[in-house]
Amino acid sequence: MTMASNPELPLLRIRGLGVRFGSSRAINPLDLDVQDGEFLTILGPSGSGKTTLLRTIAGFQIPSEGEIVFDGQDIVGLPVNQRPFNTVFQDYALFPHMTVRENVGFGLRVRGTCQKQLRARVDTALGIVGLEELGTRYPSQLSGGQQQRTALARAMICEPRLILLDEPLAALDAALRRQMQNFLKSVQRQSRITFLFVTHDQSEAITMSDRICVLRRGCVEQIGTPRELYYRPKSKFVASFFGDSNIIDPCEVKETFENATVVSTPLGTFTVAGTPPESCSGLSLTIRPEAFRIGSERAANIIKLEVVAVTFVGSETITELRHRGTSHAFKIKTRSDPAAHPPVTGSVLEVGFDPVECALINRDET
Amino acid sequence: MIAFVAKLRLPASDCLLWGILGLFILIPLASFLAYGFFYTVDNSVVYRPTLANFLEILTNDSYRTTFFKTLRMALEVSVINLFLGYATAYFIWLRPPTMRNFLVIALAVPLLMSYIIKIYAMRGVLGTNGLLNSVLLALGIVDDPVSTFLFNLTAVRITLSVVLLPFMVLPIYISLERIPNSVLQAAEDLGAHQIQTFTRVILPLSLPGGMVGAMFTFVLASGDFLAPELVGGIEGFTYGRLIFSQFGLAFNWPLGAALSILLMIVALAVIYMARRLGNPKWQR
Repeated sequence: MTMASNPELPLLRIRGLGVRFGSSRAINPLDLDVQDGEFLTILGPSGSGKTTLLRTIAGFQIPSEGEIVFDGQDIVGLPVNQRPFNTVFQDYALFPHMTVRENVGFGLRVRGTCQKQLRARVDTALGIVGLEELGTRYPSQLSGGQQQRTALARAMICEPRLILLDEPLAALDAALRRQMQNFLKSVQRQSRITFLFVTHDQSEAITMSDRICVLRRGCVEQIGTPRELYYRPKSKFVASFFGDSNIIDPCEVKETFENATVVSTPLGTFTVAGTPPESCSGLSLTIRPEAFRIGSERAANIIKLEVVAVTFVGSETITELRHRGTSHAFKIKTRSDPAAHPPVTGSVLEVGFDPVECALINRDET
Repeated sequence: MIAFVAKLRLPASDCLLWGILGLFILIPLASFLAYGFFYTVDNSVVYRPTLANFLEILTNDSYRTTFFKTLRMALEVSVINLFLGYATAYFIWLRPPTMRNFLVIALAVPLLMSYIIKIYAMRGVLGTNGLLNSVLLALGIVDDPVSTFLFNLTAVRITLSVVLLPFMVLPIYISLERIPNSVLQAAEDLGAHQIQTFTRVILPLSLPGGMVGAMFTFVLASGDFLAPELVGGIEGFTYGRLIFSQFGLAFNWPLGAALSILLMIVALAVIYMARRLGNPKWQR
C-alpha cells in the first residue's frame, strides 16, 4: 500500500518553500497543500511570485529552502524530466516541427511506448480536447485555442495526477478565453486530474477554481474557496482584488459575541457576523456593492449617505454616494427596478446591510 | 490633376528601379552570358551564335574531370563544415549571453577582412615552417616538418573550410537562437533526457540553418579560384582556376563564359535545393 491511497494526505505538500534570486526574495518561505483532484488557482498580480512558485514545483527553478512532497515523496532534488507531472506553458511551447499528433505523443515516444499503444492513446487524448480532425496539422497552422488544446493534450498524455498550468489563457482574446475556461474546467472535472493553475485574472480564478491561493509579494495572503475570498477576505488587498469593495475604517471592536462582533467606526456602530481576524495594524470593514439595500427596509446596519451620481447600466443601477461627515465614498449596485424612480443626486438616502454581508479585514500598511 | 500626377509617380519610380537593376546587373550579366554562345578564331571573338563551347566542355575529359573534382571537393568542404560549424554554433549557443555575443562578433570579424590576407595567413599556418608543423614537431608527432599540408587539394580543402566556416556557423547559430527556451523546457517536462531533447527537438529545429550554411559553403567553394591558386599547387587545379585561366591566360572569353554558365546552373540548382531543405514544411 502506498502513501497515495491515504485520502488524508494532500497530493502535493509544500512546506517552508522559499526562492531567492541573488539577494532578493522571490518567494518567502510558504506552505501550501494541493488536494488530490482539486482545481487550485494561484492568483496574484505580476511580480507576486506565482510563476516562480509554479516553475519551482515543475523543477525549472531550484528553491533556496523548503520541501515539496508529491505523493509522499520529496521531489526537490528530482530532475524536471523525472517529475511525475506535466506543465502547460504560457506560450504553449509546442514543437513547431511536429504535427499535432507528434506533439501530443511526444511524452510517450521518449518513454519508448510501442506504436500501437501510442496511436490509441494519442487518439484518446485528441478526443478529449476535440482535435481529432487536426492531427496532421503543424502548430503554425492552428489558431490560439487549438494550440492551447494541443498543449493540454500533450500534458495529459502520460496520465499525470497533477498538471501545472502557467497562465495558459493569457494570450487568448476575451471571448475565446471564456470558452477555454469552461473547457478547461470540464476537462479537469471529467479527468479528475489535479490542476494547479496560475493566473493574474481574478474573474478567471473565481469561475474555475475549487480553491484559490492569493499570493502577494511572495507571501500567501489567503487561501480559500472563491466564496470565502469574495465574502470573507482577510485583507484589503484580497477584498479589492476581487472586484469593487466599500471600505470603512478605522474600526474598533466594541464587543465580541460567539459569532458576531460589534464595531464602532466614524460612520456609526455596526454589527458584523463572525469574529475579527487577528490584526496588528488595525481593522477595516468591507461591504460588497451588491450587499446594500436602499430605502426603508429594516437592516441591522444603517448609514445615511448623500447621492453623488447614479448610473444605469441595464440590469443593474450603480449609485455612488458619500458620507457627509467623513471622506468615505461608497459604490452601491442594485437591481434596476423599472417602476421605481432612481435616487436624485444630492438627496440623502438611508442604506442598509446585514451582518453576514460584511467582513472585518486587516488594514493594510499600504 | 494632382491625383493623376500622383498616379503616374509609381510607374516612374518603378522605371527608375528597373533601369538601375537592368543597367548595373541584368545587362552586364546577359552580355557576359551571351559570350558563352560565341567562339574565337586567333584570339579574337567571332560574334556568331554556336553551342560549340558547351559541346567541347561536355566531351573534353580534362574539363569534365576538373568539373567533377571541384564539385566533389566543394561537397567535402560543405560536409566537413556542417559538422565543424554545427559544433561551433552549438558551443556558442550554450554559453552565457554576454559570452555568446562576444563569440559571434569574433566569428564575424574575419568576414570583414580581405580574402587574400586570410588565404596567405592559412598558407603561413600550413607551410613547412608554419604553425601546424611547429605544433606537430613540438608534440613529437612528426620528426621532420611535413610538406603535405600545402600545394595540394587537401590544402584547398583545409583553407576553404577555415575561411568559409563563418558562413556555416552563423545560419546554424541563428536557428538555434530562434528556439524558444520554453520549447526545450517542454521537452524536458515531458520526460525527454538531454540526448532525446537534442535529437528530437534541437537538431530538427536547427538543421534547416545547417542546410543554408551548406549551400553557402558549397556555392562559394565550388566557384573559388583564389584559394586553389594560392595554396592548391598543381593538384589543386579547380574549376574556378579553369575559368580564370580562360579569361586571364588563354584569352578565350567565350569558353570561359560557357564554363561559368555551367557552374551557375549548378549553383542555382543547389540554392533551389537549399531553399527547400532550409525552409521545411512546418515553417511555411
